This record gives sequence, C-alpha cells and structure tokens, in this order.
Amino acid sequence: MEANVEETLWGQCLEHLRDEYSAQQFNTWIRPLQVEFKESENTLFLFAPNQFVLRWVKERFANRIKEIISELCGGNPPPLILDVGSKPQPYKLNNKPVQRSELVSNNSSSTVKTASVPQFGPTDYTAKPDDNYQSNLNMTFTFDNYVEGKSNQLARAASQQVSENPGEAYNPLFIYGGVGLGKTHLMHAVGNAILARGKNAQVLYLNSERFVADMVKALQTNRMNDFKRYYRSVDALLIDDIQFFAGKDRSQEEFFHTFNYLLEGQRQIIMTCDRYPKEINGLEERLKSRFGWGLTVAIEPPELETRVAILMSKAEQAKITLPYEVAFFIAKRIRSNVRELEGALRRVIANAHFTGKPITIDFVREALKDLLSLQAKLVTIENIQKTVAEYYKVKVSDLLSTRRSRSIARPRQMAMALAKELTNHSLPEIGEAFGGRDHTTVLHACRKIKSLVEESTDLAEDYTNLLRILST
Amino acid sequence: MQQLPLSIHIRDDATFASFYVSAKNVTLLASLQASIRGEGEQITYLWGSEGAGCTHLLHAACHFASEQERRVAYLPLRQHAELAPQLLEGLHELDLLCLDDVDAIAGNGVWEEALFNCYNRVREHTCRLLVSGNNAATQLLLDLPDLRSRLAWGVSFQVHALSDEDKIAALQMRAKLRGLELSVELAQFLLSRCPRDSHALFAILEKLDHASLSAQRKLTIPFVKQVLEI
Repeated sequence: MEANVEETLWGQCLEHLRDEYSAQQFNTWIRPLQVEFKESENTLFLFAPNQFVLRWVKERFANRIKEIISELCGGNPPPLILDVGSKPQPYKLNNKPVQRSELVSNNSSSTVKTASVPQFGPTDYTAKPDDNYQSNLNMTFTFDNYVEGKSNQLARAASQQVSENPGEAYNPLFIYGGVGLGKTHLMHAVGNAILARGKNAQVLYLNSERFVADMVKALQTNRMNDFKRYYRSVDALLIDDIQFFAGKDRSQEEFFHTFNYLLEGQRQIIMTCDRYPKEINGLEERLKSRFGWGLTVAIEPPELETRVAILMSKAEQAKITLPYEVAFFIAKRIRSNVRELEGALRRVIANAHFTGKPITIDFVREALKDLLSLQAKLVTIENIQKTVAEYYKVKVSDLLSTRRSRSIARPRQMAMALAKELTNHSLPEIGEAFGGRDHTTVLHACRKIKSLVEESTDLAEDYTNLLRILST
Repeated sequence: MQQLPLSIHIRDDATFASFYVSAKNVTLLASLQASIRGEGEQITYLWGSEGAGCTHLLHAACHFASEQERRVAYLPLRQHAELAPQLLEGLHELDLLCLDDVDAIAGNGVWEEALFNCYNRVREHTCRLLVSGNNAATQLLLDLPDLRSRLAWGVSFQVHALSDEDKIAALQMRAKLRGLELSVELAQFLLSRCPRDSHALFAILEKLDHASLSAQRKLTIPFVKQVLEI
C-alpha cells in the first residue's frame, strides 16, 4: 500500500510538475526529493537532501505540490510534510560504487549485509548495533597497489604490521605528511587487510568532519548515547585528516573519550594528519599527547624513482601501456605530490583514449602542455608594453609616444600584435592603450608583424621569445 | 526564515550543440560527455580564462544530464555570498554536481572546508563532479592545500579560448542556430571593431539578431554599424 501510494500518487504528481516547470527546475529541485507515505500516520513525507533545497522547495513549489496532490486525491489529500532527510530508495546509477564495502553485522550470525541505503547528512548511527554498518572503505586501496619508496617505507611497514596485529602492534598509529602523498591510501589498505583477515571485524573509516557532523546531529536530536555506542562498538577506527578537529572543542572532548575507550579495549585507532601532532594548533594538549602514545610516522614527498613507479602502477591498473621513458618524462616534471601525478596521468589517458594515438613523449608533451608550462598568468596590455620595452631596451613612454622612428615603431607594432594575440581587448581598446591610436593602426601593426615574422628570422625569433616570456 | 534572493540561472541555449568545439577542446568535450554518461572519469576540473566557455560547458553538462534523466545541481560559486555552505550537504547524492568558478571561494575558510568535505563525499558515492576555475587546480589561491590537491586529482582540462579564426566560425555557427546569415566579412568586421572576448561577441550577435528581426533587415556592415553605433 505504502509503495503504491508513493509510486502512483507521487508518480502522477511528478508528471504534472514535469509539465509545469522547466527541465532544469524539475531536475534540480524536484527530482532530488524522496517520498515516503506512512500509512500509520496517513501522511506523505517529502525529503529534501539539505536545508537549502528544503527552503527552496517550500517557497517555490510546496503550494503547487499540495494543490496537485489534492486534485489527484479528489479533495481529500493526506497531509504533506516536508523535511530534510532521506528514505531508502532503489535508485542506482549504472555503475556500482566501488567504495562501499560489504560488512558483516555485529552479531555472530555472519550475515553479509550491503550498505545500499543512500543517506543524506551524517551516518545514521541510531541504527541498532546489529544493523548495517558502513565501513566506508575503498576496496581499491590496498597494500598491493601501494608503491613503496624511501619516502613512505616506514609508514608502509608500520601499517602492514598494524593490519597483521590490530590493536597490538602500534596503537594508535599516527601517519602524517603533506597533501596527496598517500596517507589515506595506506589507511584504507590497513582497513581492507584487517577485513580480509577477520571477516567479522568492524572497521570504520571516516573523515574527521564526519565525526563532527555526526556529533552535532546527535546533540541536536538528543541521541548522544547512540552516537557513543556506535563509535565505541568498532574494532578499528580509521580517522582521516584529524587536523580538522582544530578549534572544535566539543568534538575534541567527545573524540578524547571515544579514543580512550577504544584504546582501553585494545581496538585499533589509525589517524592521519597533515602535520606532526604537536604542531596542530587548536588541538587540546591531552589529545596531542595521546596521539603520540603509539607510533607516529611521516610520509615524505616521493622521490623520482617512486614517482615513476607510481605512474607505472597506476597505468597498469588503468590497463594502458605506459612506456618507461614517458613515465620518467612526467615524473620528472610533476614533483609535488601523488595526486597531481595521478591527475596528469588521467589527462594523458583521456587524450589517448579519445584520440586513439599512442602514448609517446611528444604526445604527453602536447597533452600536458598547460600543466607543464602553466601558461596561466594573466597577461595585460601594460605587462606586454613593459616586457617589450625591456626586450628592445626602449622606454614604455616611447611606445606610447608619437615618435615614428623604426627603433620605436617596430617594438610598438610588436607590442600591439602581442596584445592582440594574448589578450581579449578589442582593437580600438588596444589602440587607446597605445597613446590613443586608431584601431586601423593596430590592424596595420598586426599585419605588418605577421608578414615580418614570415620574412625575417630575427623578427620571428623576437616574436617567439616574447611570446614565451609573456606566457610562462 | 531567511529569504533566498539567489537566482540560479542556467541558460537554455547553453548546450553542447551550441558550443563551438575548436580542435584543442575536442578531447575535453568527449571526456566530459563520457563522464556524465557514467562511463569515464568521476571528477573533472575545467579551467580557462574569462570567456573561454567554462560556464557554457557546465550549463551544457546540466542540460545533457537532464536529458538523460539524471539528477543535477548547478551552483555558481561566484554568488557564494548569497548562499550558505550548508547548501553543499547532501548534494553528493545527485548524479551530477556542477560547481562553477571555484576560484571565487578562495580564501573563504568556511566555504573551502565545505567544498573539501563535499569532494570527499562525492568520492564515496557515484555522483559525478564537474568543477570550473580560472586557473589550473594547482595554481588556485586556495588556503586549503588539501582541496587544491584534490581538485588536481581528477582529470583536468584547460578550456582553450578561441582563436580569431575559431571566433569567426563560432559566430557563424551561433548565427546559423538563430537562423541568421553572417558572412565571414561581417564576422571579421565585428572582430576588429568590437570587444573580442567570446561573451561580448555572442552578446553582440544576440543584439544584432533582435535588431535584424525588428527592423526586418539582413545583417550588413552599414546596418551593424547603425545598431552598434560604431
């Protein structure tokens, strides 16, 4: 019956709304709503994904929705309540999420449950202990595909040991290092290895922000006991980016107690952070000191050989052939972190995929042109005038003057041509910026430089040099 | 309750069909469409200078996704002052989330953190994320390096601004979509006498279209001069 009302009544209502509103309005505001009919209350609930959508729908669409439902029910509609939240829905994209892992319930019945319920907002920890757990682990992050190098050797070894003896080897394990160096990968790898060893283990991965959001919700709904029970029932708590606890005193307080509880029960805790615990400003001293009780390991930016190995490994995972010299070419140029390295590889793969060309150094040089040179500087007419004046050793004021000697006119024409090439200013605007000249003068300068570049190698070289200076 | 003065507007005519694809932008378009269909990359970062067409592509992505019955949201972060960062909560449940002008929130700690959290949640779901900015992700002036590196993680493309030749072709293509005939000479005339960024040129074309309709005249250089008062 409930499903029937949801499907028929709401389905028909949606048809009306689809006709009445633009596709954009419909898709953005109405389609995300989830419906639930509670027969016991004879009430129709509409859930919006967040407060913003809720307010928008209330202001713009709620009255019309009520009217349509009233019409469809022959003037005797069920009350309609709009709220923030979600209900289980069968909707799925074509490809299944790989991040959600299957978890075993808390009781010993070894029933495998899949976390398939979409949720808006924080985790629904109000569930009973034997209800669905979501580990949030990304199963693609394993030790096997974690490339080891000097920069991460210690962290990897420690993580491996923790995964073999959770709660005993190093507790807590605190991994710190700059962004995009593989801390999260390592953490997931530990979680996945623990799960692989003990199917009944309850491993929970989350970002510190999720912990804070859950706690705020628990406070608002007066369910702190459920919150505590949920977080204290896990066998391993993997908490990412702990630095975001800074300045959040109430969350720190709660995390402190959870931390102590888990540690006393010999449950494993792993944390990542972008810096050494003592350096986290806004974090209570007692937490800082506890974070250092177990083992604190750093991950450094990967050296060249490791970067090459990472690229080769990622390419293999993506099932593409990446010649070693090409991996070397990329790794030599993108040095900061693994994420940027992966981002560059993704671009190369996309280009190869859509153009059907083989991956060579020339191909990569072209595909990553902008990333490698980052010609992103904003080029202004003033900048061009200054650069050209310096290049030809004349004064900017000469370029703007009425002097027509060749030693001044040529650089002026060059600067005008470059302004047309590198900026979006109109020809009249360029003329104006060069001492109030007419747009035809600019047009003439552009044509002149174009023909001179073809005729004179010296001038062609000047033009190329200036282009390079201005765009790198 | 707080009022919502925001007007999130998606241009009806900003579709993939009306986006002039220069040779440099072919791959990004194919990659983007594959992503929205759920086949390619989950997260795409587009960047380009003013008028390069990032916003057009985000609007087009919304239309494209809507046509395929996907749930989409478009947020112009340039208007973040009128929005609340809580707006991002729950949007990872959609099929496509388009965030335009991410550079606009640079330096705004609350928004940067909200976007960082949103990004993390998107990665835990199947939602496709399309973000645009005015610079390569690694060059964004964000305070949160975590966010910057994450934006650089997905596939990223520079939306290349059109060359003058491309602009002429793009103007002609847009004119044709409007049922207008625009000669190469006239397009060149516009290019040499008007602001040359694509936004301005397309706005001029729209103005000329209206003028041509109301005056019942073909587009000629004298007529254009008269309309544009140049």
